[in-house]
Amino acid sequence: MKDQWTDRLSEYLDDELAPPERTALEAHLAVCEGCRTTLDELRRVVTNARALDDRPPTADLWPAVAARIGLSSRARPVVRRFSFTVPQLAAASVVLALLSGGAAWLIVGRGTAPTPPVVTSGPAPALLNASAYPGDARFDAQVADLERALARGRGRLDTATVRVIERNLRIIDRAIRSAQSALAADPANSYLNLHLAQEMRRKLELLRQAATLAGARS
Amino acid sequence: MELTTPGVATLRRDPDQRALGDAETADAALAASGDGRAFERLYRAHVARVHSLVRRMVGPDHADDIAQDVFVRAWTKLATFRGDAAFGTWLHRLAVNVILARRTTLGTERGRYDDSADILDGVAGRPAAPELSMDFEEAIGWLPDGARRVFVLHDIEGYRHEEIADMLGIVPGTSKSQLHHARMALRRHLER
Repeated sequence: MKDQWTDRLSEYLDDELAPPERTALEAHLAVCEGCRTTLDELRRVVTNARALDDRPPTADLWPAVAARIGLSSRARPVVRRFSFTVPQLAAASVVLALLSGGAAWLIVGRGTAPTPPVVTSGPAPALLNASAYPGDARFDAQVADLERALARGRGRLDTATVRVIERNLRIIDRAIRSAQSALAADPANSYLNLHLAQEMRRKLELLRQAATLAGARS
Repeated sequence: MELTTPGVATLRRDPDQRALGDAETADAALAASGDGRAFERLYRAHVARVHSLVRRMVGPDHADDIAQDVFVRAWTKLATFRGDAAFGTWLHRLAVNVILARRTTLGTERGRYDDSADILDGVAGRPAAPELSMDFEEAIGWLPDGARRVFVLHDIEGYRHEEIADMLGIVPGTSKSQLHHARMALRRHLER
């Protein structure tokens, strides 16, 4: 059975009726068994919907996805046909670092004056991690610049954010050290060269984002 | 860091989920730099949810293809993921966009949103013999396109009517009406 209130039952269930309509509908429900039954069924439909389990596809789609994005089905990064030397890659990273660092510098409002001395009180912020690994001096300098910019704004970040940044920096630093160790044994390996460059770039990008975030909170 | 977006129920995160989210954010950063293993981990973690969403929105016939499209698109768009929300939330919204973009090319759109009560009769009448034995999930697939999408996005995925209206290019009132029609139709497939 359907009456003028039946089509409003979902809105009632979702608490989307205006107070006068809600009051009127509740008065109707008190005397209409049909609407009470329908409302109970609608409530069960919503409960069922929220309890549905997600099911994976019957066949693994990863091999097809990996092929379409240029990875093997075992998800190894693509090995390019060309190779770079570490100095070349480091130089490329420095170019990116200059751009990234410059942007962060401008965003945190430090780009118009000479670099001020870093004044810190107490122990150095945990985010400072300069010279975590040996590398190109210019790259290290850019990392240090970004870390100083981040240190200045670190107090504006909440602790959860700082934890995530620190954790990710540790992951990246481990990856960089691993790549450097592997390259020491196999300097011409193109994949390792590329991987190292990616990790260095990723560190600069993470620092840039963190410094930008810290600056944006000011 | 606050990681909530109004109206999306899936974004409510307890501490365990937050830890998982941090790990996924790290994997997303790795994947964005070309790490295929990290992307495969993200794929494994989310494929069931994405595939279920696709299957419920467009049906099983094209679900595998479109789910693949979602992950391929995610790979190309990883650089736009900034960690402001959980990776799953970002991927989910991307999946909805892919699905909605594909619906027209698949020809699944059977006309404009039907706002009449006639759809109830259609749903009840389609599955001749299997109707009573059809499970709830299967019954969702028999809803008309418009009602099914709104039902999936609202009651299963937790989007608000305003968000659904924006995604589907309809007004919130139509979204509410379609949702009610879908629920009314699905009452018939509740377990007795």
